[in-house]
Amino acid sequence: MSNSNRYILEAINLHKSFKAGEVREHVLRGLDLRVERGEFLAVMGPSGCGKSTLLHLLGLMDKPDSGSIIIDGQDTTYMDEQTQAAIRRRKIGFVFQRFNLLNVLSGYDNIALSLKIRGLDTDGIDRLLASMGVAEVARKSPEKMSMGQQQRLTVARAIAHKPDILLADEPTGSLDSANTQTVLEMFKRANEQDGLTVVMITHSPTVASAASRVVYMKDGKIIDGNT
Amino acid sequence: MLPLPLANILHHRLRSLLSALGVAIAVCMLITLSGLARGTLEEIAKRWQGVNADIIVYPAHWSDNITTIGGGGVGRGDLKMLKSLKVGGKPVIDYLVPICILQGKVAKVNCNIVGIKPEDFHLLIEKPGKKLTGRIFDPHNKFAKWLEAKLTTPSEETLSISRAELARRGGLEMVIDTRLARSTGLKIGDKVYVAGHRFKIVGEIPAGVLARAFIPLATAQWLMDLSTGRYTLIFAKLHNTSTMGDVIRKINTTSRLKATSLGQYRNMLEARFGIMYLYIDTVNTITLIVAMLFVLVTLYTIVIQHRREIAILKSMGATRRFILREILTEAMILTGMGTVMGILLAPVAGAIIEAFLPLLTVEISPRWVLISILAAAGGGILAAVYPAWCAMRMNPAEILTLE
Ligand SMILES: Nc1ncnc2c1ncn2[C@@H]1O[C@H](COP(=O)(O)OP(=O)(O)OP(=O)(O)O)[C@@H](O)[C@H]1O
Ligand SMILES: [Mg+2]
Repeated sequence: MSNSNRYILEAINLHKSFKAGEVREHVLRGLDLRVERGEFLAVMGPSGCGKSTLLHLLGLMDKPDSGSIIIDGQDTTYMDEQTQAAIRRRKIGFVFQRFNLLNVLSGYDNIALSLKIRGLDTDGIDRLLASMGVAEVARKSPEKMSMGQQQRLTVARAIAHKPDILLADEPTGSLDSANTQTVLEMFKRANEQDGLTVVMITHSPTVASAASRVVYMKDGKIIDGNT
Repeated sequence: MLPLPLANILHHRLRSLLSALGVAIAVCMLITLSGLARGTLEEIAKRWQGVNADIIVYPAHWSDNITTIGGGGVGRGDLKMLKSLKVGGKPVIDYLVPICILQGKVAKVNCNIVGIKPEDFHLLIEKPGKKLTGRIFDPHNKFAKWLEAKLTTPSEETLSISRAELARRGGLEMVIDTRLARSTGLKIGDKVYVAGHRFKIVGEIPAGVLARAFIPLATAQWLMDLSTGRYTLIFAKLHNTSTMGDVIRKINTTSRLKATSLGQYRNMLEARFGIMYLYIDTVNTITLIVAMLFVLVTLYTIVIQHRREIAILKSMGATRRFILREILTEAMILTGMGTVMGILLAPVAGAIIEAFLPLLTVEISPRWVLISILAAAGGGILAAVYPAWCAMRMNPAEILTLE
């Protein structure tokens, strides 16, 4: 198997720094990461070490200072914004750390909008909502839903367009253990049944144990969990 | 699904309503103010054009603009000269009506008061749909004859005609139009002071005729200190309107008089009062800009408050064009709602203005409705540009991390 086929997502020598007042905060310092097709990867690390930053870079939401990100064999370094947006539309689903849903729309319409932006039809939404156990609340505004319901909707939206990669930033961070289990089962099911590649950030070793591989971040780099 | 721009508007009902209202006020002002300026001048022009005559003859020493004409610059001799005027050897004048125009106040309302002979009133002013109710002033010219006799027999008495005598002889009678009646509350039988004299309202005529108040010619001359043979101007009716050009040219070149067609009066009004359009258009433009800022600020706050939503849209791969279109659509819905409200409000505002200021006319023209629609649409697009630009420029990762 050639490398480009084996890895769906590669980060090579990523550097990213932010201006923090007078000084520059060097968050990612030559980070390398390879994610195999169909892998369920958990990323762990102390708060503020740059996990979210990494996730945003992997999802082409921001540009690294240097280094490259290769998605499905395509080097995205020199892509223009429109091409990157096209990759996000087709291949990536996001679950962010907080506030994922548009409150002006119903739960259902949140998913419908995502599909509309991606140029897909909205036929399967009801089935998807039922399988996630949020069919009854889907007509409500997200503001009127429980945390668990909101997060299940978020996951439903992130996988509704059948992306290749799901990037989830502490998807269970604000959930109780029952809801955490449900969300993890959703991930597992999509991972095992549809071959979805999952990159999940978490602070919790229990949550991480749902993944097939766990890596750790330290000093702006990945320390492989196997070593 | 509910389109996102509509969802945003419905989610922020009050704010959306207020910014639509801003647009509505601007559109309404645009339509009513321009309708007011144009309508009021148009109403005066129509009144002059509506008389049963073809040309206006006035003294040559008067400026080319007779919209503010007064005094007694033409005389009995001019009448005689005009009467015998020939073009191509044929007499051209059907009849002549001399009038005096007196600026005055009727029950605190400023207006032109026209002095005219009772028989000329029927000739020049009345027509189907514009029939006098009540009666004409000094119906048998008794007062006019008496006054003339008084003035032409020089004696001590002439200078001391008492008010009581004027009134008793029928000289202090007045006909007013329905609009002046409505605005002053005067009705037939009422008495009103004009130029220091107590006039009696004897008749009422539907609005849309030459002036709002009419008195006997002799009375006007008396009040203006003119002799009985002096007039402000003369209306002339031609046998054949095809001779109009020749008649005007002849009068202008061969006499101490000037003539103009009734149609010219409108142009004179516009020349004199057209500056008003400029003021009103300026006010309208400013209102429109303020309304645009209203929409801009609304959209801008929506964009700023929805930074996170925009970041999420971007994470889903929404293109710049998609975001631009959403914000533009929202702007168009807001301005569209406002425009419709403004157009519906305009006739109401017009009616209110006319109710409080009955002598003004608000004429809502399709042309200005169209202009206001285009201006609002253009303003809406302009107002969307900056917020949309801000939205497109946002770095989604930064928003997601820092907020
Ligand atoms: N856009 C930005 N501007 C300035 N500083 C930023 C920005 N994004 C991230 N940072 C900084 O970079 C560092 C890493 O942030 P990041 O959110 O990636 O950490 P994290 O590992 O996800 O932390 P947590 O576990 O708390 O979510 C932090 O110190 C943060 O303040
Ligand atoms: Mg984080």
